[in-house]
Amino acid sequence: MVRAAALGCALLLTLGLLPVAAHAQTKEDTLVYALQSDIDTWDPPGSVLREAIILGYHVFDHLAVRDLKTRKVIPNLAISWKTIDDTTWEVKLRQGVKFHDGTPFTSKDVKATFDRVLDPVKKMIARGNHAKIKTVEIVDDYTVRFKTDGPYPLFVERMTAQVMESEKVIREKGDEWMQEHPVGTGPYKLVKWSRKQEHMLVRNDDYWGPKSYYKYVRIRIIPEQATQIAELISGGVDVIKAVPPDQMDVINKSGAARTATSPILRTAFLQLDQAARSGPNPFTDRRVRQAANLAVDQDAIIKHVLNGLGDRVATAVNPMAFGWDPNLKPYKQDLDRAKKLLAEAGYPNGGVDVVFHEGPPTVEPAIQQTNDAIVADMTKVGFRVKRNYIGDNTVVVARAKEGKLGPMFNWSWGYYSVFDADAILYDIFKCGEFYAYYCNKELDDLIISGRSSLDQKKRAEIYVKAQKLLFDDAAYLFKWGLRGVWGVSNRIEYSAPPDEVDRMFLATPRKK
Amino acid sequence: MRRYIAHQLVQLVVVILGISILAFSILHVIGDPVTLLLPQNAGKEEYERYKHLMGLDQPVWVQYWKFASRAVQGDFGKSWYGNAPAFGLVIERMPPTIYLTLAGLGVALLIALPLGVIAALKRHSVIDTLCTLLAVAGQAMPIFWLGIMLIIIFAVRLKLLPASGYGTWQNFIMPAFCLGAFLAPLTMRLVRSGIIEVMSMEFIKTARAKGVGERMVILKHAFRNACIPVVTVLGLQFGQLLGGAFITETVFAWPGVATLTVDSIRNQDFPVVQCAVVLLALIIVFVNAIVDLVVGLIDPRIRAA
Amino acid sequence: MAIGPDAAISAPRFEAAAAPALSGAGWRRLWRLKWGMGGAAIFLAIVLSAVCAPWIAPHDPLVVDIRHRMAPPAWMEGGAREHPLGTDQIGRDLLSRVIWGGRVSLVVGVTAVLLSSTIGILFGLAAGYFGGRLDWSIMTFINVMLTFPFVLLALAVIAVLGPSMPNMIIVLGVTGWPVYARVVRAETLALREREFVLAARALGGSHARIVFRQILPNLISPIVVIATLQIAQVIILESFLSFLGLGVQPPTPAWGNMLGEGRVYMLNSWWIAAFPGLAIFVTTLVINLIGNALRDWLDPHMKL
Repeated sequence: MVRAAALGCALLLTLGLLPVAAHAQTKEDTLVYALQSDIDTWDPPGSVLREAIILGYHVFDHLAVRDLKTRKVIPNLAISWKTIDDTTWEVKLRQGVKFHDGTPFTSKDVKATFDRVLDPVKKMIARGNHAKIKTVEIVDDYTVRFKTDGPYPLFVERMTAQVMESEKVIREKGDEWMQEHPVGTGPYKLVKWSRKQEHMLVRNDDYWGPKSYYKYVRIRIIPEQATQIAELISGGVDVIKAVPPDQMDVINKSGAARTATSPILRTAFLQLDQAARSGPNPFTDRRVRQAANLAVDQDAIIKHVLNGLGDRVATAVNPMAFGWDPNLKPYKQDLDRAKKLLAEAGYPNGGVDVVFHEGPPTVEPAIQQTNDAIVADMTKVGFRVKRNYIGDNTVVVARAKEGKLGPMFNWSWGYYSVFDADAILYDIFKCGEFYAYYCNKELDDLIISGRSSLDQKKRAEIYVKAQKLLFDDAAYLFKWGLRGVWGVSNRIEYSAPPDEVDRMFLATPRKK
Repeated sequence: MRRYIAHQLVQLVVVILGISILAFSILHVIGDPVTLLLPQNAGKEEYERYKHLMGLDQPVWVQYWKFASRAVQGDFGKSWYGNAPAFGLVIERMPPTIYLTLAGLGVALLIALPLGVIAALKRHSVIDTLCTLLAVAGQAMPIFWLGIMLIIIFAVRLKLLPASGYGTWQNFIMPAFCLGAFLAPLTMRLVRSGIIEVMSMEFIKTARAKGVGERMVILKHAFRNACIPVVTVLGLQFGQLLGGAFITETVFAWPGVATLTVDSIRNQDFPVVQCAVVLLALIIVFVNAIVDLVVGLIDPRIRAA
Repeated sequence: MAIGPDAAISAPRFEAAAAPALSGAGWRRLWRLKWGMGGAAIFLAIVLSAVCAPWIAPHDPLVVDIRHRMAPPAWMEGGAREHPLGTDQIGRDLLSRVIWGGRVSLVVGVTAVLLSSTIGILFGLAAGYFGGRLDWSIMTFINVMLTFPFVLLALAVIAVLGPSMPNMIIVLGVTGWPVYARVVRAETLALREREFVLAARALGGSHARIVFRQILPNLISPIVVIATLQIAQVIILESFLSFLGLGVQPPTPAWGNMLGEGRVYMLNSWWIAAFPGLAIFVTTLVINLIGNALRDWLDPHMKL
């Protein structure tokens, strides 16, 4: 009897949940896209992760989007927009669009989306992006008016950075439900989400826009980079992103896949805790920050470690962004001056102890190798760097937000794909923002005036001043603008997106 | 027999209790969960408020009691990164790891049995040493290395197997082999020693032997005897496998509980870690109990007791 | 990590435990142990190279030279004699790093085993000799420790103490004792009832004397063999912890963290991960050979 019981238990355990055969999709109708880490939520305004933005583009739509060829903002869910006066924008919406659950898309959805994001109590991540919008008014079913806090020149750009969610869902289902059940108007619908394993998307055949070729998109989470590359060249995956420059030749020589590169908005830098958010530290002294910038030979790192795939920048403003000052030259390595500055700051024999929090290479490839080189250079002038590696990007982001990553940590910023200096200055340098470890009233004033004028010439001048301030003050340890490297299977046509948003709905099979 | 089962049950309960206490206390020693959750500039008032909200201002045994009583109902709280219930997260990822472990054990046996038998029969010879070396090689080679090499050979070069992922039986082959190679050495040693012991008994018996019939009986005994320590240790190995499983799961993008647990520990996601540890312990103890039962059924010495 | 529940129980074998004399039969026995001797020779070479690292390593293992990064080994195209095994992803000499890395593995291996064997022996003796409640509690403790996944324990402890070599030794030492305790306990239980022990008791010997004078010497054989094999185990575990980033921190070279850093390069610059991996492989193999030989020499009937 006991024997039978034991045997029975064993059988139950084995039979229980044998892996069921996957969906009935075939290779021809499925595109496979690999990510290194999973998103934390399917509610895009609640996440700062690039992966959340990318996946958001597949299931949701925005009021406006960027044309990848002309880089201009073109209509999407909004068909036209104009300013009524200095502080009012009027937007006309597209008709005949339906959410995945059948509800028609109208102005009440726009209002509900923005109200939710702007709600000060909810503290959504995306709030800072749209803080200049005071209220959203419904004029009629397909017309919306945005009242802004002073002139808001970035309004058009920022329309590409907010997905439209369903008013019905917001009202009836609530925040928690929305984290796992995205209901959008986009070209794909979410079928299944196995956390940290994969997502399955199916084509929305009622989509108002151009129909995507592939019926299914399978998004696989593959944390190990070597495995990702192996999958790409053995045909298991069609697109991978953030390929380390060192591995490009493996892909290109394989005959089964190729690499595609593009300069992207994403800019990398090391944040130095000038604002002392994590407590007192050596970087509150400008001389120490300058010494750090002068110690590192960034150009050599770009050349040798990144194989040239990086664009040196003087501050964190990217050359592709509006407002970039081409006349400002970056720091050149000067070890003697660095040591002198440290001596002046009270460290005549070096011995500057700092903790360096590092993250995984999910959006910034070769981050470990470049960090190694940077630390080696800093050590030459007297910094003693203690390194702390955090393996999970979600954790890095969470701790950064809470001010716990000082005195020094890796950060990069994708600008939410908004090609404007404001998109980085506000979130990364303005005192008190979630991800800013810098506090300078003068800069804050410049930022506010920069985003309050509709005169582009005036704005450009303001941003030149801002960049000079950041440079002279050595706000952070500045590095470079990234070049995105994608690995693409030879069975599909796909070009590298300069705004770092992968669009699987644009991929088509390669003609033989 | 009944006493034996009762004894096993008591052991089971005690061990699970011990593990849950250990897991609970370790995590609370690691760090202050309140500090982890609150932003850096939260004031003392906010700190005290959160502490009270989370029930962390109560004495440790009260906290443990709350944790235990809720745990028994399956409520392990919510993950601190993403708000999903911890229990659901862990259960979702349990089966892949369990299947992987079983497959790995299977492979280990496949390697260890023949090697162990040969080594035992050719004891102290070159072959004995070679077999041991072969078995040890699997564990001496870093699993990570072995995994990537297998992927390069079988998925990239030969295109025979999928490089990673979970879903079809082909996905099992390489990861199971990695784990199996990791487990083989110990298993092989046990098989070898088990057979050796039986062989020595055989000499005594053949001294009194009276024909072929006895040989068959001895063969039966040989295997049974060799099986006992192997089965027992396999049960124990199940618990130590988490380390090997973690690397295997990472390399092959296997959606298992090992990666979840290790990641959660690194993230200091207490609820998930506690849940994972307790559930894993339950399974391990359960497996060991079954194993002990099986051993009790096989081994006549215990049956007689 | 467990070596076996009652690995050395069966018949007590102290009669054969005396070390063999080096007569003709002795030399023959040594020849039979040629594998072990060979292994010992290689192991000695590894130890020597680790000890003499500052003198025999061709370069400073910490010097970064990004202009010569990922240089292949000298015999391959693009390699230079200056870097016999090539350079790693930021230009450090691989051969030097492998040599220096041996220090970490060997020190951690030996020290951790010393620590865990001491703890294990004490617990095992107590459980086996005194029996009763003490035995039961220690056995339960052993079961809990064996069931509790080592990785979790290690991660948790290191999360508190911070990653470093001493902390790794502590973790590995403190989690490794159950193996010894089990064996020692089983042996002690058997020995406790032997005539010479009973005689000693009758003569009024104290517990401590009996345990340390009568029982412990008979345990040396199995303990030595297990300890040797455990050194190999610990080296693998140490490399695993370093690989996870919980052990010796970069830039200090340790075979485990070198493997971790080199993992993404296995598809093209394979040498970065291959040579530390090879080092671990050879060292572990060789230690196993020594362990096997020790077992055969000290007591061929041992069930290991």
